[in-house]
Amino acid sequence: MHDLIVIGAGPGGYEAAAHAGQMGKRVAVVEKRRVGGACLNVGCIPTKTFLKASKLLFECRNAAKYGIRASEAQLDMPALLARKARIVGTLTRGVETLLNRSGVEAIAGHARLASRNTVNVDGRVLETKNILIATGSRPAVPPVPGIDSSRVLDSSSALELDHVPERLAIIGAGYIGLEFASFFAEAGSKVTVLEMLEETTAAGDAEISKRLTDAIRRSGVDLRFSAAVRRIDGNKIYAGDSELTADYILNATGRVPVVEDLGLDKVGVDYDRKGIRTSDRGKTNIPGVWACGDVTGRKLLAHAATREGIVAVNNMFGQPDRIRYRGIPAVIYTHPEVASVGYSEMELEALGIEYRKSTAPMGVAGRFLIEHEGGSGFVKALVGARYGNVLGVHAIGDGASEFIMAAAFMIETEMRVSDVRELVFPHPTIGEALKEAIVRAG
Amino acid sequence: MPKPGITVEECLLVGWKAAKGDRVTAGQAVAEIETDKAGFDVEAPVDGVLLETFFGPGELIPVFTNIAAIGQPGENYDDLRPAATPQAAESVRAATPTAPAPAREAAAQATAPPAPAAEIAAPAQAAPVVLSPRARRFAQEHGFFPARVSGSGPQGRVLESDLEEIYYRSPRLSLLAQAMIDAGHAARGEGSGAGRMILSSDLATPPVRLAGIRETIARRMRESLAKSAQYTLHSSADATALLNLRKRLKASGSPALASININDLVMRCAVKTLTEVPELNAELIDGQLYRHERIHIGFACDTPRGLVVPIVRDSQDLSLEELAARIHLLTDQALNGALEPDDMTGGTFTVSNLGSLGIESFTPVINPPQVAVLGVDAIQLKPARRGDAVEFVDYIGLSLTCDHQVIDGAPGARFLKKLRENVENIECTI
Repeated sequence: MHDLIVIGAGPGGYEAAAHAGQMGKRVAVVEKRRVGGACLNVGCIPTKTFLKASKLLFECRNAAKYGIRASEAQLDMPALLARKARIVGTLTRGVETLLNRSGVEAIAGHARLASRNTVNVDGRVLETKNILIATGSRPAVPPVPGIDSSRVLDSSSALELDHVPERLAIIGAGYIGLEFASFFAEAGSKVTVLEMLEETTAAGDAEISKRLTDAIRRSGVDLRFSAAVRRIDGNKIYAGDSELTADYILNATGRVPVVEDLGLDKVGVDYDRKGIRTSDRGKTNIPGVWACGDVTGRKLLAHAATREGIVAVNNMFGQPDRIRYRGIPAVIYTHPEVASVGYSEMELEALGIEYRKSTAPMGVAGRFLIEHEGGSGFVKALVGARYGNVLGVHAIGDGASEFIMAAAFMIETEMRVSDVRELVFPHPTIGEALKEAIVRAG
Repeated sequence: MPKPGITVEECLLVGWKAAKGDRVTAGQAVAEIETDKAGFDVEAPVDGVLLETFFGPGELIPVFTNIAAIGQPGENYDDLRPAATPQAAESVRAATPTAPAPAREAAAQATAPPAPAAEIAAPAQAAPVVLSPRARRFAQEHGFFPARVSGSGPQGRVLESDLEEIYYRSPRLSLLAQAMIDAGHAARGEGSGAGRMILSSDLATPPVRLAGIRETIARRMRESLAKSAQYTLHSSADATALLNLRKRLKASGSPALASININDLVMRCAVKTLTEVPELNAELIDGQLYRHERIHIGFACDTPRGLVVPIVRDSQDLSLEELAARIHLLTDQALNGALEPDDMTGGTFTVSNLGSLGIESFTPVINPPQVAVLGVDAIQLKPARRGDAVEFVDYIGLSLTCDHQVIDGAPGARFLKKLRENVENIECTI
């Protein structure tokens, strides 16, 4: 009898399994593909490896501005793929080591719930006190005729391309679509992004979305809004009133939770196509059955999945814990980066919370000018009208992903502008722009 | 007593590691001491027998003071004895903290974390808490002076670890929550932040002092329940006639008649019933029962300022139209806060109508010194036998609270029976 069987070894599942293992519990994690999940194998990690290359390419091309003369930089796609494989390999082994060291049994196969405390892995029946469903998500496939064309890629297969396509069409201007647009445009593709909506909602903040849109367009991407794709015919796309030909079409219309073929109906787990319903303690409606990560449809972020998994494990083994999303940052790794945490203006207005806002250009931080010649961006701080407590921070500009955590701490501990004034940021760092934005809100 | 640091002037003797009479060898640890920074062992400088210890655990001893004598049994060690037992301890008595951290304490009290040390009060009220030097330093550095702490050190001395236990185990407050507690908010229940940190959302809004009309209501209701023996009877009356009459009044074309509502009709019935069962039209004051012939009927009125009960004087002399007009006038004045004091005093019986809010039955509270109050409930469909058939009929609920000190169950029930008849035969009643 296991104490816990985790289904899915992504960032939600493997961290939860390791955590339970370290608590001395008898734990198994079942994975039908590779440990690490989408994040490590076909998501966060590989895409960021790609984006590092495109940002480096950009810097090489602009090296003269930094006082360096260099011959023309070229993207070496096979070498990039090899680097990606190496990094993924290292991290995958790291996950395996972690599971091993934590005493977690890793089982390869497809797990289905047979009852609330039985899991069937390809015919092998395992008994367990708890089940944590962490099956994650997969790329959504919109009901567009011709979406099954061989020219259509998804975010996973796009990472396997061994060459840079001449013309690439991307469906969806969410964070996935924009990150790929950012990479392929820099790599030399003629990129067209087709978005159904009137603007990108990736950033969660209207001003930052606008700035991001402008920056993406400046990098040469043809970013079209209100352009719903009606039909795909081979390598032709019919969107809105226009017709477009591309070598490849990347479907980046979002991700959907993996809830099929898990035995959820058999056990009566409450779910729909948006995911398995969970409480803020990770419980489903069935005692002993828990869920975390993308499969819950809550946040669809690797780091949120990890925390949700650990919350679930803590609760299942008697340590009350609760997930709080308010202090969980989100990042878009485009060029420039976008990072945010806490409330957006829209949310504050909807909730009727009175706030003050202020912004500081990234350029107030000397380090930003040094690091990103010709770059721009800003940090927006939203603070409570009454107490000046930090409610939200939204930033655009390279380096934002590394300092957003400081804003998350401020939100988690409810720091006020007056408290932030007392914090000393190292000089020169890009994060100084964060402090400046918040102090200006006082 | 060695001088373990350049700035150390005194050390705390934590305890002895050898007992009087023990044979010790040079280099052996014989005592454990503590400065405000660290703990040390005091080693025996020579081989011999521990002849005497000059201090006990928990005492603060200036450096370079002899703390023990080691020699051969029988040897005279009087000249090793320190001149006078130092009273340095006084200097470390933690003065009652001048600037305690009230917010922190509030947090510590608001929840019941497993912080056993904080649960136990200091042994004696008068005895000041004695902190070890390191504990004192910790308290000052963290601005942390808990009111109640029991020391685990010698003689109840508070050690750094005791303070750390409370400081790190008790729930912390976010900076915002701390500011809000200082501003009067109260910590309630468990913190919902990281490590159970108490966040602003875990706080309750500052309490509001009851004032004016609310305080009057509170006092009267409290007194009512404390000084009488209230019971409530529930019944209901066929409302068919009532509804039909209301419909006819509405269709009458006369604004005065059209404005008469169900509540007015029931009030009229209540007045009529009080003339028939006068026991309920009374006041009980200091053990004396005053029966009234005149019916000053009050009606509970929900206003933005709270509950008020305007009184319709001599209601027994008013026609339905007059009664309704008076009720409507008083209601308007009540809502506008324009009631005269006379219009709110001297009532002999009260009607409270929650039926319009859909209440099916309730237990109205007597408005003392009156002895009864009638609650009017919602009109609901009920199955009723009609010959061999069962029909659904509109019934209006009636809830009567009486003071059992003067109104027994049967008279109360008789009143309700009469009232029911009056409602069911409303045409005759008016």
